[in-house]
Order: sequence, then structure tokens, then C-alpha cells
Amino acid sequence: MNLIWIAIMIVGLGIMLFTNASAAFATILSGSEKAIALSLKLWSIYAIWLGLLKIVEETGLDKKIAKCLSPIINFLIGKTDDKTKNFIAINMTSNLLGMGNAATPSGIDGMAGLDKGSKYITTAMAMFFILNVTNLQLIPTTVISLRAMHGSTNANDIILPTLIASISSTLTGIILVKLCKKMFKKGDKNE
Amino acid sequence: MSSYIIPSLIIALVVYSFVKKKNAYNDFVFGAKTSFDLILISFPYIVAIFIAIEVFEASGLSDYLASLLKPALNLVGIPSELIPMVLIKPFSGCGSLAVLENIFINYGADSYLARAGSVIAGSSEAIFYVSAVYFSKTKVTKFGLAIPIALFANLISAIVACAICKII
Repeated sequence: MNLIWIAIMIVGLGIMLFTNASAAFATILSGSEKAIALSLKLWSIYAIWLGLLKIVEETGLDKKIAKCLSPIINFLIGKTDDKTKNFIAINMTSNLLGMGNAATPSGIDGMAGLDKGSKYITTAMAMFFILNVTNLQLIPTTVISLRAMHGSTNANDIILPTLIASISSTLTGIILVKLCKKMFKKGDKNE
Repeated sequence: MSSYIIPSLIIALVVYSFVKKKNAYNDFVFGAKTSFDLILISFPYIVAIFIAIEVFEASGLSDYLASLLKPALNLVGIPSELIPMVLIKPFSGCGSLAVLENIFINYGADSYLARAGSVIAGSSEAIFYVSAVYFSKTKVTKFGLAIPIALFANLISAIVACAICKII
């Protein structure tokens, strides 16, 4: 991301210097202005969903969901200790509920639990990584909320398409990791 | 039908919490408080990315890159307007929300582009961000095939998203 940002700023502003220099700074300002507007929207979305997620946590519902997910975790990730499994379950639950950002802390701890101290990635880690980036979601809450704020008449009508699209990518990812298991043997041999 | 899903889940959750003799109000307030931290962490990135996006578009770089990639992506059914979305998604979740919001403003939140863009934003995650952050407590530096597989899987979801939004 670093390099891309730097490249865009240098090349983009460089081009504007020759084509439209008077608009260059206004462009930057408008970017910052839009960023504030989006942050305010995201803030109100996060406030609601983090609030609800806390209720879920306090009722112990997340642990119940984690228990249901346990066989799936065993199949996909393989054997690991209970603590790590719990992190992975919480991470998966947050992802399923469309809270990608809330999934980060448990994702970091889950990944650390799978770590074998090698510099090469293991199959289990690759699978956990793929599950996180293919983002299987039951309800894409953030996107729905943002759409509703922009006056969509039926912001929820993307639930089914999102589910279908993310199931396709998740299955693609799972199958490819399982097929390419041999490619991760450098990391796996320490197990 | 789908409009009932979220309100019903919220009602069910609050009722469940009540039955379990928990204090839903206090829990909600406590959880909502943590949104401060989350927005404080993501705000600087949103500013940086939004500025880059504006420069990217105003300088004509976006049109140039889109015209370069157009033949390949159009072939798999991804419209030119969504190319910035597909390109930025692997790098930043906030960035893709920024692009998405631009699409909402330019084409309307109920347009085909807005729906397909929403599905792309909702069905993939920032690969390079996750690979940097999630592995921060591990010693892993060699990702092998994990990143190519992730990119390919996300391309699949973008193709499916563009196709499915034409039908549903």
C-alpha cells in the first residue's frame, strides 16, 4: 500500500501540475472532506454493530456459535488447542456477521496460536488466512448500512448476492488450499 | 422479505439477553463506546486513501488504468466503472468503502453498479492488509501460494458479484 500511495501521489499530482494545476490542491482538500464524511457514517455504523456485538458477547451467544463451528474448524484448520480454536471461532463469527474490523483482534490471536515459529506459512495458517480474506458473510452489515444512508430503497437486497459471491470465493479458496497442501510443506514440517 | 432480517435479529438478540437476565442497555453502551477506538484507528487511513483516490481520478490516471485493464476485465463481465473497486479492495477495506461511496454518489445507491460494487465490497477482504496485520504476532514472512490463491478467490467473487446482480 505504501508504494502505491506514494506512486499515485507523485505521478497523479505530477500530471496535474501540467494539466490542471489550479485544481490540484482543491482535489486533495475534497478528498479529506469526503474522508471526514465517510468516517462519520462509519462511526455511526460501528457504534450500532459494536454495541449489538457486545450484547452477543455478554449473553455467551458467541461461545455457543463457536461450539457449533467447532467441527468445521476441525475439518478446515485441523487439530489445535482449545484457546486458539476459541479465537478462530470468535473471528469466524464476527466475519459471518459482517464485522470485518471487529474480527481483527481475534484473528491476530488465532493466527499467533497456529504459529509454529517457522518463517514459512503452514497449511492451517494459509486456510485461516483464506477464510478471512474471502469473507463469508451472512449479513454484510457495514455495506448495507452505508447503502441505506445513501437513500437506497432496499439496502438489504444485496444479502443474497453477497452470500452467493462469498460462498463461491470461499469454496474456491478452500479447495485451492487443500489441493496445494504440498506447497506449504516447508511450514508444515515443523509440526 | 430481506428487510425483516436485521430488525428481527436485533429483537431476538435483545429478548435473548433479557431472558438470560443480562443488561442489554449497559452492554450496548459499553460496546458502542469501543467504536471511538475503531474510528480513531481507521480515520488516518481513510483520509490518506481518499486523497489518493481523488488525485487518482482527477489526474486521469484512473481512466488510463481502466482503459488498460478494460478488455481483460470486461471479458469476465466486470464493468469499467467497477475496476477501481476491484483494484483497491485487496489493499484496503476502508479504501474500497471510499470507492463504493463515490459510486453511490455518482450512480445512485440502487443502480446496478452500486449493487454490484456493494457485493464486491461485502464478499472480499483486504488481502494485503490482513496478511500484514493478522501475522503480526507470528514469525511468518514467506506466504507461498497463500496470496495468489487469495487474489484468485477474490477475483472469482467479483466476477460472480457482477453476474449475480444482473439476475437478482
